[in-house]
Amino acid sequence: MKLRMSHSVLRSARTWLPALAIALTTGNALAQGVTDEMLINAHKESNNWRMVGRDYMSTRFSPLSQVSTKNVKRLVPMWTFSFGVLDAQNTTPLIHNGVMYVTASHGRTFAVNAKTGAMMWQYNHPLPEDAGKLMCCDIGNRGASLYGDKVFVTTPDAHVVALDMKTGKPVWDVSLGDYKNAYSMTVAPLIVKGKVIVGLSGAEYPTRLFIEALDANTGKQVWRRYTIPAPGEAGSDSWGTDPENLKFGGASAWITGSYDPALNTVYWGTGNPNPDWDGVGREGDNLYSNSTLALDPDTGAIKFHFQYTPHDVWDFDGVNEHILADVGGKKVWLHGDRNGFLYSIDRTNGKFNYGKEISKVNWMSGFTPEGRPIVNPDKVPTYDYEAKDICPASEGGKWWNPMSYSPAKQMVFIPSREICTDIKSAKGERAEGKPHWGIGSIKWNKGHGQLVAFDAKSGNKKWTVEAPSPFMSGVLTTGGGLVFAGTPEGEFKAYDQDNGKELWSYQTGSGIVGSPVSYFIDGKQYIAVPSGFGGWTGWATIGGGGAPQLKDSRKGGYVTVFGLFDQ
Amino acid sequence: MLSNSELRCYTAALCAALLLVNPAQAEDELRNPFAGDAAAAAEGKRIFLKTGCYACHGHEAEGAVGPDLTDDEWIYKPTDAMIFNTIAKGRRGTVMAPFGDQLMPEEIWKIVEFLRDKNRQRHLNGK
Repeated sequence: MKLRMSHSVLRSARTWLPALAIALTTGNALAQGVTDEMLINAHKESNNWRMVGRDYMSTRFSPLSQVSTKNVKRLVPMWTFSFGVLDAQNTTPLIHNGVMYVTASHGRTFAVNAKTGAMMWQYNHPLPEDAGKLMCCDIGNRGASLYGDKVFVTTPDAHVVALDMKTGKPVWDVSLGDYKNAYSMTVAPLIVKGKVIVGLSGAEYPTRLFIEALDANTGKQVWRRYTIPAPGEAGSDSWGTDPENLKFGGASAWITGSYDPALNTVYWGTGNPNPDWDGVGREGDNLYSNSTLALDPDTGAIKFHFQYTPHDVWDFDGVNEHILADVGGKKVWLHGDRNGFLYSIDRTNGKFNYGKEISKVNWMSGFTPEGRPIVNPDKVPTYDYEAKDICPASEGGKWWNPMSYSPAKQMVFIPSREICTDIKSAKGERAEGKPHWGIGSIKWNKGHGQLVAFDAKSGNKKWTVEAPSPFMSGVLTTGGGLVFAGTPEGEFKAYDQDNGKELWSYQTGSGIVGSPVSYFIDGKQYIAVPSGFGGWTGWATIGGGGAPQLKDSRKGGYVTVFGLFDQ
Repeated sequence: MLSNSELRCYTAALCAALLLVNPAQAEDELRNPFAGDAAAAAEGKRIFLKTGCYACHGHEAEGAVGPDLTDDEWIYKPTDAMIFNTIAKGRRGTVMAPFGDQLMPEEIWKIVEFLRDKNRQRHLNGK
């Protein structure tokens, strides 16, 4: 019998054949979990984006080059996905074999067909009604992680949840702290050799925070590394004479670490001591606040550390990410700190290579050969003295939003700001579950934003792009010679890596405080960016404000995906 | 069948029971007992800071993670009762959580007066 298809069947086939292909592809993708090999070789593969930093070095560099400086003007939106919730959309989407796994504010996680934007599942973590009031800086999340057949997320009430990659159903759910005492989590976990490594938030409250590794299969604790030593341990004598400081000194760990498989070392940043702006009673370096801890991923033991801002009284919160790079024959980590400097540190031993100004710095006057800052006493707030025009303000420099590194050009691209502040400290009341900032008065002075490119080897600035408001997105660089970054006004922009020339822009509808990624499906390069304004925004408006134009900015909650227009 | 007097008595008892269950009362029943009281406004600021409201709204309620509470740019033009209920019960779907479990009604009213006073000062200063 001769088989004939009618025109109507053929017409409908145009609809169902691609759908079937996607379903088959997706089904196949879901059947194939994420392996250690995939994670270790993430930098050698361009189709996916399987961890928030894209690779263990946290480069946020995609080798994809279909979209380039020559054709980026043809970039158009392909699809938009609404999270259905407002507030800070701090996430980095992940892509694994045709599926996007993306977290949102208020404890939500979604799996979305990365080609069409069709939702496959969603997980809404059941949050206590009062979770938001015990987080300093909004109820956002910084992304998921993938391993085996599971998706791992952290939650505002300090849970780590493993979800079934196919269905989004919880496989295990463990609590790492009491949210009522302000232990919370926003971090994207780091997967290393079958362990899910996370860090706690909450250093604006009296807390003792930590980094913890869980077994990916069971959720059971493998190790916990407190970022403040116990009494008698090395560094415990760096917190003054009040023994309560060792119980309540903060030192959070809310940004995902990086991992060097060859050195078997995880690099994880720690945040500010508590109270943020009052140093009375915690005399000393306050170890290991504002440091990078080089950790053994098998045991959590500290191999060595580097401290950026000893005895922080400016809330410089040195928790930011580490880009692992090999430059000038050296294995280094690059770290843009809120204290205003881009650091290059030898990642084999924690020795200081350089610190270069990202933005204006006046709280210190120079470095010792070991990289210890020489503090300018005029910029130290006390109960009786309002330190004026401290540069940078608490948000940097470079704030938490991750920078990107092009291995090909050995250049670093940093989202930044030029904003300074006036601070007077005060004695606060220390009570668990209550904010404890040690602030008498604080005023941010009007400034502007900037995107800054550095040569990684020398630390020399290559170019600076100025903008009315700080760049508050993460940065993406690509093999097409492009740098992508977003503004709090919602503009998603592409620049030329070589000279900072703006080549393309698109208004996403709400401020961009998350991070863009790129991936490749069926011959097409996609670029995705979350948008949805929120987070700590006091710097924008308080006391006149660093960027008063951002008052009452429009909220949102989307991911927008772009590709080249096909004629 | 209940007589009118019995019904009144029954209804009053029910209302009293409901009030006990739901301390955030109907808005038309709520009046700020400290309206215009400068001392209460000052005490309200102290409670505002002690409770940690400043973490989201700033030390002078000028806004940070949460909105500016001193200007006229509210989503809805709030009565004192609406502000009272927002503090007591929170706003679902937002970061604003309920504080009725840790603040006495008198303390909430003093915070309301602090916010009203900040708004009046703002108008006086022409901002």
